[in-house]
Amino acid sequence: MELKNKIISKLHNFMILPAFLLFSIFFIYPLLKGIGLSLTDYDGMTKANFVGFDNFIEFFKDHRAMNDVKTTILFALGSAPLLNIFGFLYALLLDRKFVGKSIIRTIIYLPAVISPLIMGYIWYFILQPKRGFIYSLIESVSGNALDFNWLGNSSMAIWVIVIVNVWQFVGMTMVIYLAGLQAIPEELHEAGMIDGASYLQRIRYITLPMMIQPIKINVITNIIGSLAVFEIIIALTDGGPGYSTESLSIYIMRKCYGSFTGYSTAVAIVLFFIVLIPVYISFKYLNKKNVEM
Amino acid sequence: MAIGYKIKVVVKTSYREGYCKMKRTMKLLMLLMMVVVLVGGCAKAADEVTIAQTDDKSSETTVTDEIVTIKLFTGKVETVDLMNSLIDEFNAANPGIIVEQEFQKDASNVIKVKFASGDVPDITTVVTQDYIDQGKYLDLTNEVWWNRIDPAIRDLCTDVKSGNQYKVASNMTMAGLFYNKAIFADLGLNEPATWAEFEDNLSKIKDNDSEIAPFFMGGKDSWMLGHLIEFMAHGVIKQDLGITETKAAFLANDDTKLQFGEVGGPMESFAASIISARDKELFNSDFLTATYDNQIEAFAMGKAAVISQGMWALGGIIEMNPEMVGNIGFMPYPAIVEGTKPVILSAEDSAYAITSDSKHPEEAKKFLDFLFQADNMVKYSEFIKSPSAFEDVSADWGPIKDEVAHALAAGVHIGFTNENPSGFSGDDAGRMVQELFAGEYKTSADFATAYKEIWDKAWNASNN
Repeated sequence: MELKNKIISKLHNFMILPAFLLFSIFFIYPLLKGIGLSLTDYDGMTKANFVGFDNFIEFFKDHRAMNDVKTTILFALGSAPLLNIFGFLYALLLDRKFVGKSIIRTIIYLPAVISPLIMGYIWYFILQPKRGFIYSLIESVSGNALDFNWLGNSSMAIWVIVIVNVWQFVGMTMVIYLAGLQAIPEELHEAGMIDGASYLQRIRYITLPMMIQPIKINVITNIIGSLAVFEIIIALTDGGPGYSTESLSIYIMRKCYGSFTGYSTAVAIVLFFIVLIPVYISFKYLNKKNVEM
Repeated sequence: MAIGYKIKVVVKTSYREGYCKMKRTMKLLMLLMMVVVLVGGCAKAADEVTIAQTDDKSSETTVTDEIVTIKLFTGKVETVDLMNSLIDEFNAANPGIIVEQEFQKDASNVIKVKFASGDVPDITTVVTQDYIDQGKYLDLTNEVWWNRIDPAIRDLCTDVKSGNQYKVASNMTMAGLFYNKAIFADLGLNEPATWAEFEDNLSKIKDNDSEIAPFFMGGKDSWMLGHLIEFMAHGVIKQDLGITETKAAFLANDDTKLQFGEVGGPMESFAASIISARDKELFNSDFLTATYDNQIEAFAMGKAAVISQGMWALGGIIEMNPEMVGNIGFMPYPAIVEGTKPVILSAEDSAYAITSDSKHPEEAKKFLDFLFQADNMVKYSEFIKSPSAFEDVSADWGPIKDEVAHALAAGVHIGFTNENPSGFSGDDAGRMVQELFAGEYKTSADFATAYKEIWDKAWNASNN
């Protein structure tokens, strides 16, 4: 009887089993398999041979890979902060009462619903020299004075991609900030106003500390999204000119299809850590700033 | 205390009630699960019995009634519609066989996934040296089709390592420089034999009308730039060594013959030619971001004087501007190294192979028998606007037949480079040309050195 009771009392522990099974099949198993593959010279077809850490050493020696790391980090450094800054500013602006607020919110959010690949191609057509809308606009204003190939310039193309990415996903960030703003009790602002706090002071001392949770969500998702950027680059520049705008995700895909499956898995693991480190630091830092209601 | 005690009792009673309720629910759930499992199990068992019974009853007739499905995997977008209609004809005439076509834009990569996952097609148009080496294709050396095929095409279909044929090309294709005949005639330009003469022509076109791009390239599509290397740079080696020796030199990475890194060699001369034309602004200003579609449109609408393309582009040009038909000239690539001749690609096209993992090779061959029938090959040639590889096929394949014949007579015939190391595709080479155009290599010698390094690295990775 006692044993029966014991089993019954422990039964709830087994309720986690279905979720654990799914997690194991779709996350733990692929991860372990990936780690295993990264230590081999598997080409996707023939028998894999164990090569130890050769793939990782090769990665750090590969000039193209290092350039892609630089491009990926540069993109994230441009994209993640801009998404958060503009997302927050939009949220502050659209948290007020005015006519047409819902329409403006929808317009800002709408690009986020469209696939980045499609959005990238639309922007490609807009930015094309000689044919694009911006070229025509500049031509009509300045009489051909600014015939510039935005996407064909190795050092400028990455910033164009950052701007397009921010334009597309700022609505997503804004929505999360808006939800956070609306959860702040009105009394806190009223108390601040009674104490004579200005608008900026209320943002600094009331809004921002109360927004740590949305900030955490946005910072972390934007870091992950920016470091794993793929579609928008494929559509806008295809990683070019040359490899100047190739991200690490694109490099992984190309190497995987180029008969370097083991190597590309090793790069995927490196990318995992490249994403993990800033996410962990942000998480730790923002946890310290948490405000309890 | 008394109140506390009472509460304790109430809590205890409600806990016990809840516990009993949970127990009842658990029992019910367990029972339900058992029923589901049992019913499921029984249903499965019943299915098995039914199948077993069916098998027993029709064990003799199953074999004859079996319908064989042949999967045709292609990356040739231009043949999809025609193949669908031919497949319908074949399927109607062969009730026991169903041929299904699958098209993938990125076929050369997708087939790799298919091979790795075991979802192997029976017939494919994707044939690479790596897969030949891995024994992925059936040896078609002794098939009767070869008796009807141009021997030169048979040579191009021959695997240098084994001497066998693992693919059958239904057609030939040519690539060279399409030019606007009216522009050339107006300016009194002749077809150039050397790069210097070519640049001279382009300069005259540029000086005459700044709205016309003298030489238009869709550089965003890197395969197009990769073709420049295959035809112009590799063309130097190919015309010197001939088909078989070139293939052998590529496969063995024989540097004494390839001379990729040499100053004055094919790569350095190629890079110098591109840099020279770039600096003289003879290319379209959006060289790096224009696409294949932009190129075709520019040429069809008379906004580009010269483009580098193959016969596959002809349909698109004519579709966009039918009036262009009589205005299309075709010439070989001018020589980029002193002492060499202009080159023109004259190679196998639409190659079909049967995979060695196919469970129905005889049915696959039966379909290819049907496809390669002379009347079907006439349709095929006329549809894709390229001459047939079959000598008994006479098709009115294109409106620039005479121009092509003229170009073939004027240039040395070369084939595609199919022996690239797998880590260094034509697209990768094209990306190097993008870098060259973007000014990432200070000199043409730097480009040649970088090309050799990347080629060697990829070759070593594939061969060690």
